[in-house]
Amino acid sequence: MSTTIGPPRPRRTPLPYGLLVPALAALLVALGYPLAREVVLAFQDFGLAQQFGNPPEWVGLANFRELLRDPYLWTVALRSLVFCLVNAVVTLAIGVGLALLMQHMAKPVRILLQSGMLLAWAMPVVATLTVWQWLFDTQYGVINWLLTEAGIDYAGHSWLLDPLSFFFVATVIVVWMSVPFVAFTVYAALTQVSEDLLEAAEIDGAGSAQRLRAVVLPSIRPVLLVVGLLQVIWDLRVFTQIFVLQQAGGTTRDTNLLGTYIYRLGIGGGDFGMASAVAIFMLVLTVLLTAPYIWAMLRQEGED
Amino acid sequence: MRIKKTLAGAALATLALTALSACGSDSDSGDTKSEGGPATADIRVWLNGADTPQEARDWLKTTFEDQNPGSTLTIEEQQWDGLVEKLTTALSSESETPDVVEIGNTQAPTFTSAGAFSDLSGQLADLGGDDLLQGFVDGATVDGTAYAVPYYAGSKYVFYRTDLMDQAGLSVPTTMSEFVDTAVALKQANPEPANFSGFWLPGQDWRNGVAFVWDAGGDLATDDGGEWTGALESPESIAGLETAQRLFTEASGAPKDGNEADPQTPFCAGEVGMMSAPGWVMGLLNDPKTGCPDLAEKIGVFALPGTDGQPAPVLLGGSDIAISAKSPNQDLAQKAIALMLSDDYQTILAQNGLTPAKNSLTSLLGDDAFAQATIAAASNAKLTPAAPGWATVEGSRVLEDLFSAIAQGGDVAELAAKADEQMNPQLNG
Repeated sequence: MSTTIGPPRPRRTPLPYGLLVPALAALLVALGYPLAREVVLAFQDFGLAQQFGNPPEWVGLANFRELLRDPYLWTVALRSLVFCLVNAVVTLAIGVGLALLMQHMAKPVRILLQSGMLLAWAMPVVATLTVWQWLFDTQYGVINWLLTEAGIDYAGHSWLLDPLSFFFVATVIVVWMSVPFVAFTVYAALTQVSEDLLEAAEIDGAGSAQRLRAVVLPSIRPVLLVVGLLQVIWDLRVFTQIFVLQQAGGTTRDTNLLGTYIYRLGIGGGDFGMASAVAIFMLVLTVLLTAPYIWAMLRQEGED
Repeated sequence: MRIKKTLAGAALATLALTALSACGSDSDSGDTKSEGGPATADIRVWLNGADTPQEARDWLKTTFEDQNPGSTLTIEEQQWDGLVEKLTTALSSESETPDVVEIGNTQAPTFTSAGAFSDLSGQLADLGGDDLLQGFVDGATVDGTAYAVPYYAGSKYVFYRTDLMDQAGLSVPTTMSEFVDTAVALKQANPEPANFSGFWLPGQDWRNGVAFVWDAGGDLATDDGGEWTGALESPESIAGLETAQRLFTEASGAPKDGNEADPQTPFCAGEVGMMSAPGWVMGLLNDPKTGCPDLAEKIGVFALPGTDGQPAPVLLGGSDIAISAKSPNQDLAQKAIALMLSDDYQTILAQNGLTPAKNSLTSLLGDDAFAQATIAAASNAKLTPAAPGWATVEGSRVLEDLFSAIAQGGDVAELAAKADEQMNPQLNG
């Protein structure tokens, strides 16, 4: 093969590779090491004694075999999937709705709304959860009190007792915490939609619904894809909200999602090998779930 | 304005202190190192919850720093909730581990059998030897090696409102069946508020609930020649769980899925006739900030009575202290533990209603009703099963789920069988 034809190539220098080193090192330390460790652990019988220095025993695929035969894993996985999809869809719908609304708001109102959302977004998770937990408290919660005052007897009603009601409360909290991110990102994207296009569409007689469907949404499609992808990932690995609510009430076994299940197996029960196996299962699930998104994003980039 | 200045001053002082202690520990690292660690260091002690009175904390810090010039002792308060999880991660890291930790006596076996604590067998005699609460020492001993020593004991006993009991024309029960009837009657005598509890028993509270199982002759799990199996579906256990269910449904107004943290809140709201709580809760109730001194004056106490009229077998409560095996300051940590088991320190605990770690100091509890209830409750107390996988059982919250489902009126036999089935693979590690 001859490569002499064509413009002269720039001289190769090691500098670009050198510049990659810090980022690569950070990735290796922060992502590579834990991931490698997780994979190793998943093939070991690694309990508390190993955590404090005993040599672990290799067990091959035993962890996975035991896991995949356990119907509880499939229950938890299915539950996590449904929870994730419902939350991602609701968050996206409310977030995009708010972003569209923000375009038509008077400036002071918009700033008020944005400040409120920013506060919700910036609030530390545990502080948020403490407040939500108090709101929904069985005996002293404001929500029960308000409903009772309004004439519906909710005195002493436990919101966390029934798994469906538990997940309703969890959904409210998760959506409340993630909507600001979606709303801000989509609003930023909306400000980039070409005015000329919209005007042209209007002149051609397109109604507002048609303009939204045919002009606005396609223009912000890349942003929607990224936001949707992130939501799916975040809502699948939701942990803190579920964990804190489980301490407050509800039935742990009926409300475990993948995140809390891994925690209860590993940190709670000291079976790190098994917990890692579930974590890998969850990783595979995430990849499968997000593959269509990533595929669509790659295709979009190819088109551009 | 003034408040702001004080706050700013406090913040500055804290900053200065942190900076100082940072300097301190920096210079320590250069000190001569022996096998037991450097001669001076900052010793971190983890104490849990509000159990240890402030007076004892102050004494420990001052005395330790006087006796070990150049060293400091910092008490870091941890939450009981989630303690095992936190210790699992903290104790395994040489740079992050606290030097001395307090741990619930039933949680200790998880760590002693894993090698997380230093061997204390050599110091056992100096720390109190045979005078130490033997059940606690046994619970922390693996193959003849002691890895933790008792810190204090304190089984739960029943607090009740003397005024409400009088109004309802009831008297202090002396047997288990009288106790259950009294609890139900007390609830019926107080229809308002709707969530009033004749006996306050939140759904997740298996640590109180297990007393009814044991009293009926049942158990959580049994050991058949080295193989542990769940014993909740035995007829005796089921009878005990049914007693608990009667209390849940007919006597308790507590949330059916709630936990037993903060019993002072419903008590101070006037919603509790009787409740089972550790002795130090009295301190919270007497404190105007956390409790309600007015209502606290009307409190009487007794040890939960068993079917035979003797104190019922309640869960043996209390704490151990241990030294983290990964701590670089073994010698200093031992000195700190010696102080915590000294007569002076244990006296402060006893005066605050905690059963001291040494038998010879029990008389310091006094002879009022509280002391008598404390001693009576401890006299028949039991430990959770010594199964190697017990921590896994607790970690997966099987028992919280079981009692919460019973509280909601579920079929006891069915639920017990399900819980056994869930525990069986976990129990043997």
